[in-house]
Amino acid sequence: MLLSKGIYSGIMLLEVLLVLGTLLIYFLFSKKKEETLPFKDGWWGRGQKPLTKEDSSIRPFKVETTEEELSDLFRRLDQARFTEPLENSCFHYGTNSVHLRKIVSYWKNQFNWKKQVEILNKYPQFKTKIQGLDIHFVHVKPPRLPEGRAAKPLLMVHGWPGSFYEFYKIIPLLTDPASHGLGDEHIFEVICPSIPGYGFSEAPHKKDFNSVSAASVFYELMLRLGFNEFYIQGGDWGWLICTNLAQIAPNHVKGLHLNMVSVSKLGLTHLLSVLLGQYFPGLFGFQDEDVRRMFPFLKKGLYRILSESGYAHIQATKPDTAGCGLNDSPVGLAAYILEKFSSWTDIEFQNLEDGGLERKFSLDDLLTNIMIYWVSGCIVSSMRFYKENLQKGIGTQKHEKLTVQVPTGIASFPNEILHIPQAWAKKKYTNIVSFHFMPRGGHFAAFEEPELLAKDILQFVDKVEKEQLWKKKGE
Amino acid sequence: MDDVAGAVPEKRHRGRESRRGDTGTVSSLGAAARQARADMWRDVLPNAWESILSRIRSFEYSQKNAVLVPAAALGVGGMLLYWLRSGHKIKTIDMGDGWWGPGERPLKGKEDASIRPFKIETSDKEIEDLHQRLDRFRFTPHVEGAAFHYGFNSTYLRKVVAYWRNQFDWRKQVEVLNKYPHFHTTIEGIDIHFIHVKPSYVPHGRAVRPLLLVHGWPGSFYEFYKIIPLLTEPAKHGLNEGDVVFEVICPSIPGYGFSEAPHQKEFDSIATARIFHKLMNRLGFREYYIQGGDWGSRITTNMAQMLPQSVKGLHLNLVFIARQSLGRLICIMLGAYVPWLVGFTREDVRRFYPYMQKNVYDLLRESGYMHIQATKPDTAGCGLNDSPVGLAAYILEKFSTWTDKSFLRQDDGGLESKYSLDELLTNVMIYWVTSSIVPSMRYYKENFSKDPDLSAHNRVGVYVPTGIAAFPQEIAHVPRVWAKDVYKNIITYSYMPRGGHFAAFEEPKLLAQDIMQFVQKVEQL
Repeated sequence: MLLSKGIYSGIMLLEVLLVLGTLLIYFLFSKKKEETLPFKDGWWGRGQKPLTKEDSSIRPFKVETTEEELSDLFRRLDQARFTEPLENSCFHYGTNSVHLRKIVSYWKNQFNWKKQVEILNKYPQFKTKIQGLDIHFVHVKPPRLPEGRAAKPLLMVHGWPGSFYEFYKIIPLLTDPASHGLGDEHIFEVICPSIPGYGFSEAPHKKDFNSVSAASVFYELMLRLGFNEFYIQGGDWGWLICTNLAQIAPNHVKGLHLNMVSVSKLGLTHLLSVLLGQYFPGLFGFQDEDVRRMFPFLKKGLYRILSESGYAHIQATKPDTAGCGLNDSPVGLAAYILEKFSSWTDIEFQNLEDGGLERKFSLDDLLTNIMIYWVSGCIVSSMRFYKENLQKGIGTQKHEKLTVQVPTGIASFPNEILHIPQAWAKKKYTNIVSFHFMPRGGHFAAFEEPELLAKDILQFVDKVEKEQLWKKKGE
Repeated sequence: MDDVAGAVPEKRHRGRESRRGDTGTVSSLGAAARQARADMWRDVLPNAWESILSRIRSFEYSQKNAVLVPAAALGVGGMLLYWLRSGHKIKTIDMGDGWWGPGERPLKGKEDASIRPFKIETSDKEIEDLHQRLDRFRFTPHVEGAAFHYGFNSTYLRKVVAYWRNQFDWRKQVEVLNKYPHFHTTIEGIDIHFIHVKPSYVPHGRAVRPLLLVHGWPGSFYEFYKIIPLLTEPAKHGLNEGDVVFEVICPSIPGYGFSEAPHQKEFDSIATARIFHKLMNRLGFREYYIQGGDWGSRITTNMAQMLPQSVKGLHLNLVFIARQSLGRLICIMLGAYVPWLVGFTREDVRRFYPYMQKNVYDLLRESGYMHIQATKPDTAGCGLNDSPVGLAAYILEKFSTWTDKSFLRQDDGGLESKYSLDELLTNVMIYWVTSSIVPSMRYYKENFSKDPDLSAHNRVGVYVPTGIAAFPQEIAHVPRVWAKDVYKNIITYSYMPRGGHFAAFEEPKLLAQDIMQFVQKVEQL
């Protein structure tokens, strides 16, 4: 009897050890690695990499236009062929061509590209060659700096279908906050590059230029400009590029601020929280606002993704086909881009005959962004970025498996396409210093709500700086 | 006890006769019987069988017949009746009605049912405008080594544009298009375009059968121009497939080519099927054969489900399968190892596996256009209606990849290995001169938003005789055993030796032969 009891407890112990051992192994191997992402060097120019050293000079750049460029544009606008929309379709089938006609009429008769070019040139722009490509960037230093103070370098990265121009309203709030009633504790010098393949940055000539490549190029840019420590901010592709940059060079990135977050590794917890999160929000770490923004999940999550991601699907598979006609028809280009400025600012705008476009943006601003795509002819290369990032599938890349330890600040805008709660974000961003629900605004945060975004960036930087000071004091 | 036991079987075989009369006695007998039965089953059962047998044995031979024959006749009759009734329980899709013209449907007046001859025309202005747009096309260089992996290769596109600008003769192509008689007729408020080709000479003793051919996207009625002569005059082309000769009707789907685009929302394949039935009716046909691929497959299937009595036979070169189920999933997993167990043939296996690659990855890679067209057609088509080169790149990319998947690796997309530039550009021109690219894309939204996996009518099934031609380079392969789930009456299922999605355009002779073979079999039924 005793012997059998002994055997029995022995078996029990073995079982417990086995379970513990498995759990241990599971946690050890499933825990997201904290290693850094390797810097991705490359050569993206035409043909073979030359043996001579690359020219690393920084050359001033000015946007220019010609009469020929304008008359070609006007001829195309004049000869545009429109298709009548279905009765009562508003923006449900895409950009409504009746409203598009009005925009084209404005474009032809009132929009002044020459004046807009002067506006674009009000901030100093430069070009420099990195990894074989001419990288364009805006570099704005503060107009005045109080005695003994240094400006904090801030890299801001745009997305698709945006451009460096999206930051033109927020730049003064960051380089000269005092003049805009935002207090002058933190003053920035802002660097806004164009992603290679977008705007005035050269497009890669080789395959495989993805977000890690862009992050590496921008890292080199910041080093070349003489910055050893800097802040980075981004949304849309800017979110991913800045995330990658924080993973490549965590010792150089003082803080990472995002106005958009996405998750690519979805597991059982995510599934459960989608099914039950509405009823037991506390259990999954959801706040009331999270529940309000995410549920009903089918409508706000699944259907929204399906109905809004057609463009991403075709751009991730056949970018050269998708962009071909758009580089030839400015009206087609405008329709394609404006549709996003409508539904990504507020999904309900689809129910309006004018797509709600002028509620949050001026036609001049919208058309200037489109003109950047038109005059640089970059729509096709901008679409290729989707293929280079997504062609192997979502959740398969190395950087998607790594976490971010750099202090992170997230500004969560209510009309963003998808809401990601802090509970999910913190699995990837392990050092979230601030996470705020913004009161209004959509995907194009810097363009639409520059003041709200600037305030959030400032309070985030404030927190990071104070923590660092505290750390330094403690040493 | 013996009496009670005897009484029950007697009542059993007298039950039918007594039911009609004497309800009073029957009901009281019933009550008594029920009571008796309760006790009886306990005691009598072992004895009941013996007693029945002895009763039967005790009958005289003639008496046995008198009882057994009517009983048997009734039994067989009952079964026959049930079988016949269930056979006729074919569900059909409701025909319904529709109005697609602008504004409200007019209350008064009957619709103009005239059939008006129509000729395609062009003008100097149209050609001049096209040339100007071709001249000012803005081209984007592709990345090194792109071939057709990023979509249409822009270096090759330049060559196509040069041909289009300098050698392609649209006036000549318009004459080619006009060689068959075209017509317009108004149905449900919109002008329906179709060509109607009758055999010029019918040999003695041959029947002429009407055949409706329906195109898809990004095709048109023009895809059938090479197969039409093989169907209207088979003997001349060395196709002596029996006694049948066809008169062919090829309409344009509303919103495509020279058919007016619907002005109202929700114009889907059901509405198209109904309109095409009305068209055939107006042309005087009561029974006809129908054939289709791509959207044509969907529309003709709906036609067969809507009015099976009018469809003599349905022939398809593409099958849409219904939603995946657990059973299907198991089929897929087992089929790779024990295909015979799940009804797959060797050729099925060859075409179907590796499953993930051919049915998931390939489909994801090729369905971007479908996704954007099913959600934002007006945006997707806007630029294409304004840039003929953009339109050509978009359409011709499909003619490359859907003809042969390996063409992705070629710098020129293998286009001219199967088609001539004249044919390809004529099809593109049809979309260009009619400005129909946007309405053609809306068709995706109208169909997919109501029915995301195109399975709403699968339970209705298809009972008309069906013939399936399975081409090897079709985008996805559907084995016969799966097609049977919807198409209950497959007469022929052929593995074609070569060819892809645009079967009529690429392999007209193979397709014609299969159609004729199928119709032969149906005629003999």
